[in-house]
Amino acid sequence: MRTQLPLTSYAKGHLAGTRAAAAPLRLRAEEILSSGGDVVLNFRGVEATQSFIDELIGYLILSQGPSVLERIVFRHCSENLRAIIEYVAADRCDQYLKRPTHH
Amino acid sequence: MAITIILPKYFSATSAGNAVRVCKKILDAEEDITLDASNLVYADPLGITLLGAALHDAFSWNLRVRISGLGEDVGGYLQRMDVFHGVDFVKCEPVKKRRRNRGDSLVELTRVDEVSDVDETAHRLAVAIVGRFPGIDPDEPPDEMSGYTVFDRLVEPIQYSLCELLENALTHARRGSHGSAFVWVAGQYYRSSKIVRLGVTDNGCGFLASLKGHPELRRKRHLDAILTALKPRVSCNRDLGIHDDSVNQGVGLTTVMRIAKHTGGRAVILSGNALHDTDGRSGSTPAGSIWQGVAVALEFRRDQLARTNFRELLPLVEGIPRIPLRFE
Repeated sequence: MRTQLPLTSYAKGHLAGTRAAAAPLRLRAEEILSSGGDVVLNFRGVEATQSFIDELIGYLILSQGPSVLERIVFRHCSENLRAIIEYVAADRCDQYLKRPTHH
Repeated sequence: MAITIILPKYFSATSAGNAVRVCKKILDAEEDITLDASNLVYADPLGITLLGAALHDAFSWNLRVRISGLGEDVGGYLQRMDVFHGVDFVKCEPVKKRRRNRGDSLVELTRVDEVSDVDETAHRLAVAIVGRFPGIDPDEPPDEMSGYTVFDRLVEPIQYSLCELLENALTHARRGSHGSAFVWVAGQYYRSSKIVRLGVTDNGCGFLASLKGHPELRRKRHLDAILTALKPRVSCNRDLGIHDDSVNQGVGLTTVMRIAKHTGGRAVILSGNALHDTDGRSGSTPAGSIWQGVAVALEFRRDQLARTNFRELLPLVEGIPRIPLRFE
């Protein structure tokens, strides 16, 4: 089952900015993931900072591993946002895989 | 008894060392202060935030602060920027310029106390600044493809930069014994040069204390700490902690500096006794002038703001396999 989470209510104007604003959204995503569902992050009309995206998905990668990305869909992302998401995912997956304890 | 502190001619990013030297005198004062502003002709947002933070400290010690000799032009400007709230004016009559309505005047000195205020403050400030750009209509119909207006595109990099700097200041700066640190922000659009200038100053622990013990910080000096903080993927808490609380990626500050450079602007960072300017001027502040905390000046060229391209600004991820992601 896929649950869609619109980002508009986490943004001021068109930008979702702080880690503090991302944390409640991440908690909601964690609830959905832990119940076996997939998460659809709907970014229509929203841009985000690298910090917001890192708090949202970087944290999930570090805590659950890169496979969590198989259950997250990124919808309606602009080119800038897509670049930020790709950067955060690559960097945090690399960090996770280089941890001595992840095995 | 009162001590007299002479304000320099310029209180700005280009003479940041002098601004810090004067602020240190205010911070060290143990008796009432008279600021002699006879020489002062110009202050920019960085100078305004430094002065605001220093005066806040003086007031917290119940010191009385007077200012004398303030010229009409700079006095009117600084009064409109709310720098001298609580200061007594002596032998100067700053012109009370008509205040603009609140929504258009939030380039004024603003103190931010809580992380929960950052998003709102960053947005309001960015909108207020871009709202002063001539020829930009916030109510124009959005582009059909992107859904954004030109106004939105101009607001975004300013709001982005403020979000990153303000949240950094209210989290990293409050380490150790600096739990009650605050952050001050001010900004202005300069019509003649078409430049946006922002100042963000905190009175927290500073980069050196924040990065203490970090393996990338090889010399325990303020300048090394600034330069280390600017390296991508360096943060004091890049990994999950014992309590799995928030982490940092160590990219926010780097990206903000790159946004400024990308627009043809620049950035100046002060912390402790060190100063780094992205134009290449780095080194120590004048002897005895130390800023306890971090102060950042950003400059953006208006014409380049809307062209911010994050794929060019983010650090390279060379050697890291591309992660398959589900975009729809």
